[in-house]
Amino acid sequence: MYRYDEFDHTFVRARSQQFKRQVERRLDGSLSEEQFRPLRLMNGLYLQLHAYMLRVAIPYGTFSGKQMRQLAMIADKYDRGYGHFTTRQNIQYNWPDLVDVPAILEDLADVEMHAIQTSGNCIRNTTSDPWAGAAIDEIEDPRPIAELIRQWSSLHPEFTYLPRKFKIAITGASNDRAAIRAHDIGLQIVQNDAGENGLQVYVGGGLGRTPIIGNVLREFISRHELLPYLEAIMRVYNRYGRRDNKYKARIKILVQETGLEKFRDEVEAEYAQLEPLDIAVPQEELNRIADYFSAPDYDDVSSSDEGYDKAVILHSDFAGWVRSNLSEHKISGYTIVNISLKPLKGAPGDISADQMRVVADLAQEYSFDEIRATHEQNLVLANVKKSDVYALYQKLVVAELATGNIGLISDIICCPGMDYCALATARSIPVGQAISERFSDPERQRVIGEMKIKISGCINACGHHHIGHIGILGLEKAGVETYQVKLGGDATSTAEVGKVTGKGFSFDELIDAIERMIDLYLRERDTGERFLDTYRRIGMEPFKGVLYGTD
Amino acid sequence: MSTLKHKGKGPQALTANGLRTGPVVYLSADYTWNTAFENAMLTEDPLVIARMSEAGDRDEEENLIVGPYFIDVDAETHLPARYRERFRAQGPSYDPGKPTYAELLMKDGAQVIGQQREGN
Repeated sequence: MYRYDEFDHTFVRARSQQFKRQVERRLDGSLSEEQFRPLRLMNGLYLQLHAYMLRVAIPYGTFSGKQMRQLAMIADKYDRGYGHFTTRQNIQYNWPDLVDVPAILEDLADVEMHAIQTSGNCIRNTTSDPWAGAAIDEIEDPRPIAELIRQWSSLHPEFTYLPRKFKIAITGASNDRAAIRAHDIGLQIVQNDAGENGLQVYVGGGLGRTPIIGNVLREFISRHELLPYLEAIMRVYNRYGRRDNKYKARIKILVQETGLEKFRDEVEAEYAQLEPLDIAVPQEELNRIADYFSAPDYDDVSSSDEGYDKAVILHSDFAGWVRSNLSEHKISGYTIVNISLKPLKGAPGDISADQMRVVADLAQEYSFDEIRATHEQNLVLANVKKSDVYALYQKLVVAELATGNIGLISDIICCPGMDYCALATARSIPVGQAISERFSDPERQRVIGEMKIKISGCINACGHHHIGHIGILGLEKAGVETYQVKLGGDATSTAEVGKVTGKGFSFDELIDAIERMIDLYLRERDTGERFLDTYRRIGMEPFKGVLYGTD
Repeated sequence: MSTLKHKGKGPQALTANGLRTGPVVYLSADYTWNTAFENAMLTEDPLVIARMSEAGDRDEEENLIVGPYFIDVDAETHLPARYRERFRAQGPSYDPGKPTYAELLMKDGAQVIGQQREGN
């Protein structure tokens, strides 16, 4: 894991001291709300529907047990004893007091954390594959490059007042688990014909009110040239991105309005003018960063899975959890443990302070003291010995963290919605809960198989509804919540934006409507087909038929 | 001159968030800010609305509250007319942590922020 050097420490401390004084000046009236607002947003502090909300950065979703314990301490001391993992691998607190936020930032700085790049029109926290370094389909761990981007982009003076926020995601695996094509810039580590690893660059993806899947801007760029090339893209966007209309200010609109070819020409022209060596990073520095992410000291355990195999046979609950929550590790004898934050009655992504401490202990004991947050609002222990998994599982059971539903219908992405968010138009958490309740039978969930339901409480699409196999968008019509349904969205390397089925549903109608679609899928599916595959094969009409009774 | 714009219909209430700790508050008849919507002053009288508007501007200037604005209130139910405002008044329908504002209100009664002002 990356460790702060002296510069990082000084930088984060200085930032926290600055904000402390800004809050003091706000409270004594030297700063008006209008003046203070952009300053607090640059430190992740929002004023939401009911209260302030502080969003803490977890760069590329990787953090340590010690950091998790501090997050738990903050939840207990300053908030309401829990935190909420977001779809951008960050964590947010829903109820902090403004007067406490400087102390929270100090406590975060104690464990090399902060709330920079979690808000505002800057380059946001770079997100990545939660299985980085452990996945079997990985060409290369993407986190050294994500860390490089973090260092380059943090408070970048030229890109602090962009037309709009800017999100970058990177994956080093062939299967995209970071939704890179739904980002302003998506980076995929690829190998060229000469056998060298470099980056394929996607641009202009995004969700929100205008969902667009990103396109390839450049097939290959070496890691040495990556920062200058990103700088060129940012400059073109900063120069031509629209500032007259907030809803047309993202780079996806610029790329659409300019045309990909012309946009590419602009970027290449800008890139040609740069002196790449100015900010191109020397190999020694790339190596220094990469060293922080070198593979942990794996034991040679290839022949010690006996206890694990036995536990799978003896304990059917464990066997069920293993089927959904473990993923194949690149090292034989190890596995990737996915911890679901989608219990039956909870809110997706929520975790209590006590549960945070349990995960911290488990990370320390079983997974080289490292935790990952996923954009699907779950957690990952990426390097666990199979022989330890049953012991780990039993501790998860005690902590009520052993929900065995990863990738299944109740593993729902869901924004906070009208229950917490100032922008929301409808609730989303109770919708997620009602779907989980309806499909609570674990066996039924397994029969249905892989299913990505994603729920947003407004058109800003924080709940990724555009790229859910079933996407749900909550709207308000004359004081009543109505829910629009989308089908066929996909966040992976076969990314696609879902299509609206037709008129919306009331809360009560919605859950029945989803069940009718699931039943249709189960009747129609061919062997091995997921819901998405069946939808792609048979198309929208049959689903409309069961939704609106038009068969 | 007031910066608050009142364009609503029917009875009005004035709402904001407390600056220091952030709670949703409503201007009550004694011109303090109260966390209970049931204590909100409701009026259709343009003169009273003008005075409320001044109080909102002044208390924002004095760093007591943030972002005051008027909301429509249903004349029959005496609840906020807009769906969103009903959530602000009642708190989240799901809160896994401590009690919601609605529950706190039931338990401890309403909290008041700021000094009592002349009711003018």
